[in-house]
Amino acid sequence: MLYHTLKKEFLLILRNQHALIVLFVMPTLFIIIMSLALQNTYANKYDVKLNIGVQSESNASAFGAFMDKLNQNQFFNFRLIENETVIEEALSTKTYDFILSMTPNFMENIVKNEEASIQIISRSDVAYQQVAFLKQFLSLKMAEMVIENFSTVLNLKSATQASFEEKITHTYLLKDNHPTQITSVQHSVPSWLIFSMFFILIPISNTFINEKNFGTMDKLRSMNIPLSGVMLGKFIPYFVMNQLQVFCMLLVGMYLLPLLGGDALVIQGSLFLLMLISAVVSIAAISFALSIATISNSSEMATILGGTSNIMLSALGGIMVPKIVMPKLMQDISEISPMSWALDSFLEVIVNGGSFGDIQHALFKLLTFALCFFSLAYLILKYRRD
Amino acid sequence: MAIHITHLLKRYSKNVVLDHLDLSIKQGSIFGLLGPNGAGKTTLVSILNFLIPKDAGKITILGHDWDKNQKEIKSLCSLVPQSYAFYPTLSAYENLEFFGALHGLKHKDLSRQIAYALEMTALEKYRHKRAESFSGGLKRRLNIAIGLLNNPKILYLDEPTVGIDPQSRHYILNVIKKINQSEGTTIIYTSHYMDEIEYLCDDIAILDHGKIMFHQSKEELMKNDHIATLHLSDESQKEINLYENYDALVDVFCEIKEKSLHVKELQLPKNSLEDLFLSLTKKELRD
Repeated sequence: MLYHTLKKEFLLILRNQHALIVLFVMPTLFIIIMSLALQNTYANKYDVKLNIGVQSESNASAFGAFMDKLNQNQFFNFRLIENETVIEEALSTKTYDFILSMTPNFMENIVKNEEASIQIISRSDVAYQQVAFLKQFLSLKMAEMVIENFSTVLNLKSATQASFEEKITHTYLLKDNHPTQITSVQHSVPSWLIFSMFFILIPISNTFINEKNFGTMDKLRSMNIPLSGVMLGKFIPYFVMNQLQVFCMLLVGMYLLPLLGGDALVIQGSLFLLMLISAVVSIAAISFALSIATISNSSEMATILGGTSNIMLSALGGIMVPKIVMPKLMQDISEISPMSWALDSFLEVIVNGGSFGDIQHALFKLLTFALCFFSLAYLILKYRRD
Repeated sequence: MAIHITHLLKRYSKNVVLDHLDLSIKQGSIFGLLGPNGAGKTTLVSILNFLIPKDAGKITILGHDWDKNQKEIKSLCSLVPQSYAFYPTLSAYENLEFFGALHGLKHKDLSRQIAYALEMTALEKYRHKRAESFSGGLKRRLNIAIGLLNNPKILYLDEPTVGIDPQSRHYILNVIKKINQSEGTTIIYTSHYMDEIEYLCDDIAILDHGKIMFHQSKEELMKNDHIATLHLSDESQKEINLYENYDALVDVFCEIKEKSLHVKELQLPKNSLEDLFLSLTKKELRD
């Protein structure tokens, strides 16, 4: 009986094209898009520089050296512009992100410690952080120029800001003191994998609600089928589908993303622990899906109820926005989301190479979550039967 | 008796749906259950199939106590619900294979029963087509085929011809007769179509307001249905059964003439089951 029940459920899933898109195509696309989009953020690289137009009446040779110094960076691209340039037009056409207007004889006055200032002009929609960073950058470069000039006068070897920066490095220290570089793929793959695993709710609820709304559930109830058999018949195929998702998404991260110019997924920890986490996450996702399916009367209701819950849990759980960029309060709130527990476990193994001890607490919370929702689904079904 | 029900009571809140209902259904018969919407037909079939609990009363099905022998009763009966009880994206064969396996059938037994169900419903050439591509008639036949898989002693058919063309309807009615005759299966048939019930059923009951308003064999019904009543001028009345022939008429009219009486009123027999149904259940619209 179990064989034919599993066969039936597998056929129903495989012939449900919408479900397959949600389960496999959606996470693949999310992983590719988000990994490539966040690639530079994680790698500390900046491909796109902000364009800064500079208006000045300073002495050409001294100012030229200052401009060269300004352009020794990976964030800004400084260019001299004519004083007659219409600033409003240059900004509104986005030719420049900022325009710097310097007081006359700016360089000479700076070195002499006389009155010199820079006015930063921008559109109103630029991020405040960009303005703050530009101000800090300019003040550092001005200080460097002063120190260099002072050093030249005293015939001293100057220490530039650039050389100070080179002395500051950043290393991610992992288990066993093994240093590595975290990539966006290591965050995107588990994140969108968890998201799609919880979306198993769509095919489960569709099948369940069709059985309820058509006469199939009545037919099954009029036969000698124990409720545990019905529940198990649902649980196993979807568990297998979840594991297939894990397998496929890991392959996407390892082999497809590098072909598209992204980093390859590197798993620091044990594959066995990865399988254990995916099994527990699957149990939690299916239990949650079963409870939504049992309380919903229509596919629309299940899609709205389940879809909204999943999106809320993922937004809170650091799936859509990494928890590291959340403020402290939001990070604390994210701890209530089972997707956060799942993501922490995956990241612990994939990025940190963590052991069972490091993930056991999160797995316990996921299993408790699963037990609560599975019991809820079972009791509702049993109550309706009796 | 296939089914024996005494004082069956079912309430939904304060609304009494089955009101101390008594009913006996003969084994091997085709029992037609008629009733307007909301009469309690589906509730009765649902209770008999353990889909909803009863509030009071005693039910015995094929000698088994409903309260104690649920498992035995379920294995002897089969329900064909009014809505389609199958998976549209599976083929006819895959559906039959799944439901057959749920009945505990394996290997050769399963194949044999699937072949039997397909043959009885003439679905052999559609066996590998998905149910979602079927016409209404084919879907109804697949519904019935699934109901035949466990060779039931009692087959419940809840309005099995709703929404199909006359040809498919005629075919399905004949299939039901065939199942009854070849296997001796007791058929419990609910429908709104009086002609189907008249054509198909040996025993007919009309249910309304949770009570059996009428229960007779078709033979009795036909006999009663052919009684003409003459109201005479001396306030007496004569009943004449026209079921066999019209000879009785001659005798009665001779007697009336001899006594020099007049016929004040002649009540002709009810024409059809539909007239009987409407006279019992009244003509007002139901929800």
